[in-house]
Amino acid sequence: MLSQSPARLAAWILLSPALLFVAVFFLPPVIALLLESFHVGQTYGLQNYLTFFADDFNREVYWRTLWISLLVTLVSALVCYPAAYAVLKINPRWRGLIIGLIILPLMTSPVARTYTWLVVLGREGIVNKSLVETGLLQEPLRILFTEWAVFIGLLQLMMPLMLLSLVSAMENLPKDVVPAARSLGASEGQVFWRVILPLTREGLVVGGTLVFTGCVTAYVTPALLGGPRVTMLATLLYQKAGVTVDYAAAAVISAVMLLTTLLVNFLLRGRAVKTARAA
Amino acid sequence: MRESRFPIVMLGMALLFLVGPFVVVFISAFSGDRTLAFPPSSFSLQWFAKVLTVEAFQASFVTSMWLGVLSTLLALLMGIPVAYALARYQVPGAEVIRVILTSPLILPALVVGLALLRYFVLIGNNSISFGLLIGHTALLLPYAVRVVSASLANLSRDIEDAAHSLGANRLQTFFRVVLPNIRGGVAAAGVLAFITSFNQVPVSLFLTGPGVSTLPIQMLLYMEYTYDPTIAALSTLLILFSILFVLLTERLLGISKYV
Repeated sequence: MLSQSPARLAAWILLSPALLFVAVFFLPPVIALLLESFHVGQTYGLQNYLTFFADDFNREVYWRTLWISLLVTLVSALVCYPAAYAVLKINPRWRGLIIGLIILPLMTSPVARTYTWLVVLGREGIVNKSLVETGLLQEPLRILFTEWAVFIGLLQLMMPLMLLSLVSAMENLPKDVVPAARSLGASEGQVFWRVILPLTREGLVVGGTLVFTGCVTAYVTPALLGGPRVTMLATLLYQKAGVTVDYAAAAVISAVMLLTTLLVNFLLRGRAVKTARAA
Repeated sequence: MRESRFPIVMLGMALLFLVGPFVVVFISAFSGDRTLAFPPSSFSLQWFAKVLTVEAFQASFVTSMWLGVLSTLLALLMGIPVAYALARYQVPGAEVIRVILTSPLILPALVVGLALLRYFVLIGNNSISFGLLIGHTALLLPYAVRVVSASLANLSRDIEDAAHSLGANRLQTFFRVVLPNIRGGVAAAGVLAFITSFNQVPVSLFLTGPGVSTLPIQMLLYMEYTYDPTIAALSTLLILFSILFVLLTERLLGISKYV
């Protein structure tokens, strides 16, 4: 054991700056904020939560946040499965370029990236102009500041995460399982449902968790593309804390947001680990 | 058996959806018109010229650069030792330590910003810049730990043992043998961290105010009042900046491995 204790000491010296930083500067403010959500007058209780959820508007915001996030998760999975398959099928010479294009939105300023949709989806934007000029529509559609605009913006923001998770899951597929299934007479659908999906489930779960929690907490996209009409949880949090200075409500929203993301992480990831262990 | 073209078509559509809007903004930025329209009826560089004259952008750009550099350095200084300790020593409770250190990534960034505002700025009477630096450093720390850990995992312990047996002490081994071998990972961590800080909105949103603001927050404020192609020009500059970064780092370090 003589050699063990200096090694242990060295490890703690290396770890302590970061641990102290997080323990002193980061965790206390967050814990204080979460405690504040239970703070009623001089005591603690659930009153702030009851008040918050008694309001129709707040409930509506919460449900909207959940269903838009779920829709983005489902659509990105549907699009990214075949797309990820194609990334690996394509000539490897192009793969670097394609991965670069997928990563580009992740590396771009979210304000710049969201602004692009204001230009594209606006009344004078390219989508409306081409729809009207080709005669498909009489009047330009109102897309901006609707739930669809938020959906589109979030889908672009989150798709790279799903795509990259699925690409790396499929990279780990044994090379010959797909040709083997085909040669045994499986149809395209059977190959997908019985071979590819079960073997890449963990990538789907990781991607899905990232996408869903990312949507629940995203601020810039709903703020710019949803406007005041389409309030989401994050924009409501900003209004309560930054505009109406209702810190009790802001603390409740923070706690609800955190619980929602933790719950999704716990449910989905826990299951993925279990299936991975069972397999 | 011939494979269907369906996956390729879906990939093409996905890429068009991901990157197409950037092209539209790129073209709009060169508009010669007074207002935002696509396609523009004439072309000029007037909006790029205007970006450079907006004072709020100049000051906040400088703040964003400083904030990015400082928080990246702090995150690396604290994160590299953590990654090394977790990779090379049997630390009791390593799993708990990992969770504590990645908690800034698990918590919604907007919540982090609000918590820091309430605790340090409003109650603790610290300056806004202090809150910003804390928030950004906390957010970048998990990236630093994760990327440097990935790079350490690829480094064989044998060369360290060799250095030891040749008489190098721990510090010498780390600085002369380990660090030079993981410099790609450290650089990748630094690049990712800097971009994350430079583009960060939700953590900064509550932590900016009169006197101290970052570039993304100033862009948001500007867009509340004006809707001209200035933002298109600035966005184009930022997108070009991202493309350069992606190209450079992919070429130098293969950053796609770490994202």
